[in-house]
Amino acid sequence: MTTTPITAGTPAPPPDTSVAAAASPLQVLARVAATVWSNTKARIGVVILLLFVLAAIFAPLLAPYDPSSTEFARSQDASAGHWLGTTAAGEDVLSQLIQGARISVFVGFVAGLLSTLVAVLIGLSWGYVRGWVGDVINFVVNLFLVVPGLPLMIVIAAYLQNGGIGMIILVVVITGWAWGARVLRSQTQSLRGRDFVTAAVFSGERPARIVFREILPNMTSLIVGNFFGAATSAILAEAGLEFLGLGDPSTVSWGTMLFWAQNSNALLTGQWALLFAPGLCIALLATSLTLINFGVDGLSNPRLRERRKVRK
Amino acid sequence: MSSDDILLTVEDLSVVYEPDGADPTFAVENVSFELRRGEFVGLVGESGSGKSTLGFALTRLSKPPARISHGTILFDGTDIASIDAEHLREQRQGGFAMVLQSGMNALNPVRTIRNHFFDVFTAHGHVSRERREERARELIGKVELPAATLDRFPGELSGGMRQRVSIALALSLEPQLMVFDEPTTALDVLVQHAVMNTIRDLQASEGFTAVLISHDLGIVLEATERVLVMHEGVIVEDGPSSEILNAPTADYTRMLLSHYADPRAEVVSLPGFEDRAIRRQAGASRSAVASPEHAPTVVTRSISTAQESIVVEHVSKTYPPPRRGEQPVRAVRDVSFTLEPGQSLALVGQSGSGKSTIAKMITGVEKPSEGSIRFGGLDVAKLRRGQLRDLHRNVQMVFQDPYAALNPLHTVEYTLTRPVVNFTGLKGRDARQRVLELLETVGLAPVEQFAAKLPHELSGGQRQRVVIARALACDPQVIIADEPVSMLDVSLRAGVLALLEDLREKWGVSLLYITHDLLSARLITGNIMVLHDGAVVERGETAEVLQRPTDDYTVALLEAVPNPQRTRR
Repeated sequence: MTTTPITAGTPAPPPDTSVAAAASPLQVLARVAATVWSNTKARIGVVILLLFVLAAIFAPLLAPYDPSSTEFARSQDASAGHWLGTTAAGEDVLSQLIQGARISVFVGFVAGLLSTLVAVLIGLSWGYVRGWVGDVINFVVNLFLVVPGLPLMIVIAAYLQNGGIGMIILVVVITGWAWGARVLRSQTQSLRGRDFVTAAVFSGERPARIVFREILPNMTSLIVGNFFGAATSAILAEAGLEFLGLGDPSTVSWGTMLFWAQNSNALLTGQWALLFAPGLCIALLATSLTLINFGVDGLSNPRLRERRKVRK
Repeated sequence: MSSDDILLTVEDLSVVYEPDGADPTFAVENVSFELRRGEFVGLVGESGSGKSTLGFALTRLSKPPARISHGTILFDGTDIASIDAEHLREQRQGGFAMVLQSGMNALNPVRTIRNHFFDVFTAHGHVSRERREERARELIGKVELPAATLDRFPGELSGGMRQRVSIALALSLEPQLMVFDEPTTALDVLVQHAVMNTIRDLQASEGFTAVLISHDLGIVLEATERVLVMHEGVIVEDGPSSEILNAPTADYTRMLLSHYADPRAEVVSLPGFEDRAIRRQAGASRSAVASPEHAPTVVTRSISTAQESIVVEHVSKTYPPPRRGEQPVRAVRDVSFTLEPGQSLALVGQSGSGKSTIAKMITGVEKPSEGSIRFGGLDVAKLRRGQLRDLHRNVQMVFQDPYAALNPLHTVEYTLTRPVVNFTGLKGRDARQRVLELLETVGLAPVEQFAAKLPHELSGGQRQRVVIARALACDPQVIIADEPVSMLDVSLRAGVLALLEDLREKWGVSLLYITHDLLSARLITGNIMVLHDGAVVERGETAEVLQRPTDDYTVALLEAVPNPQRTRR
């Protein structure tokens, strides 16, 4: 019996002293970041996003003037004093643009995060349960899917009248979670049939742990992708609602800038920067999130990770 | 031999894989050989040996990152290693064709089989419009399918029939060279046998030159007249089949051959199994032997041996009909057996015989339609979801596919820690200690290194050892092993089987071993049950049943076992 692999008689490994801790969550996070960073498109996206985030954080320092002061000459063209001109109410456009990044980035991240959270909770449980509970969830999700998004958003926003940013986030989350939940549910359903999930049942794992520790990590890229997608549509929805005047018009954001620019016929007066600048910023921010999604694809496949390691 | 006789000359061929960013690897290195017209040659090697890469290179189907880096392939006087795509396409008619392992899944599901044939005829224009129907019928007949098959859609055919269709499609181009890449691996044992016979008959009647690529030396030796053995990108042996069988020169070939045996023989031995087989033949009781090698393992057991038996009584399982108007599927019919504590029982049969359904019912994954299953005091059929934990504390499972049974994102340590924490109540360092002991038990040393690895860093055999370790983690009384070695290379199988056998003997665990492979059943089980269409057709002691089978179905299964010795009778 020489080939038997059983090492009978060998002393057990020295206890405790050699027992090291498993990889910390921080290391895992660093590995994730490195994976995303190694993709060129994602790197461009991260850089653009970072610029916007920094602009948002340091807005009071960067903005040349107070964004809500109306002390300047009205409807000015670009000049050395006002790089992007002034609005019809006499505010500095550049200052408003920098200040507006705060709202867009904030709403994008918070609403994206919340609607992803709702999508994950509902989608994963929905995919894992069987029987009538699934049918009930199915009905509710379908309800949210068939109602067209923008009209629903407008109705809810009009109903909640001038609730400010909190209201907009709520509206975006209510209208934005259903599609993500559906996508995550189908992925959960295909994963729950895999042997390693059955094996986890045999290991005595509770359903919640199976869903969130066994299945969820295998969908990281999908969830992160869903987050960036949700954040993108949240930014667009926020700008859209405010452009329609459904937000609080007294806040300074890219959406309200467009709203006031439209109201004051900025195009007729030849103030292209007033319309062009916030629009471009919205488009750039949305693009950066989409670019990051390219890098996220490599996350859930460990083999891709290995290849990148070799490259270095 | 005149030069006209040579159909294909491969000279100094190397194929390199150049994945994006990673170091290039040579899958095939400086390979040279010749094929004569009408020859049937086998190409054998284990996974990763480069055999399929070579097959793809021969038919110029290599795709990036694979690239022919060196050498020439002279086919009928033309160097096909360097011709352009359009010439290559023309070459496929009357030139070379390939049948793939997954070829049966390559058929377009929304087109009938007839349309598949017509597509090929149109693309190459070698069959006149009037003769198409006739030719399609002729071809489908050649692979022993009825002409009515032409009206069917791929989804309506079984795997074996689809593989026959893809062979017929390859034949329709009247190739001079056919490359079969594992044509039967995805098929069931009995079907495999029948398809191989068809291929062999076709080769004899049509006279094409054939290359059969397979991991299974047994199949290749049965079918072919000459064999090339490949190992790590190099051809280590090239000779007539009988010579390879009787006087292999390479160590590697000898090693491969040593893993074949006839399950019907008086004494069956494989590397690592000699003593066991003889001991069982001598009638020695498994527990009576207490030789020094059988010293206790490093893992201390909280439960000494299996005490409870699994009692299956008149169990049937009926699934609702797959489509309206069809008959319900009776997967298991009136099966009764008892798995005594410490016993090893084999459940054999081809796919669809109900053996896996029985395993699912015993583990509570499925509920029986009729009958009862008891484990000790537990009535398995009546357990609610929450109570399944009590069952899994004692009944564990080893899965078929080690590549699917481990969560790719969890380290070995995490995977093994979970059952330890859930079932034994150990925590923190104690649990980790136990995990390391388990790894040592299944022979994965150095344990610290293996504990930190992710599944993709392990080989198939190592993964299966982790799966076995997980099954052992909670000191189960019963282990159900569902085809635990069918996905592994031949040379790795013996090791995993030996491990299962050892663990069963030393830990006194009962083993229900589900397989279609009679040889492995013979090696590690004491009793056997043969299932056919959900019903037990034969049962008894494994050695007895396999040596003197009484049921026709058992005989058919035995016949289907590839065995190089048998062909040379």
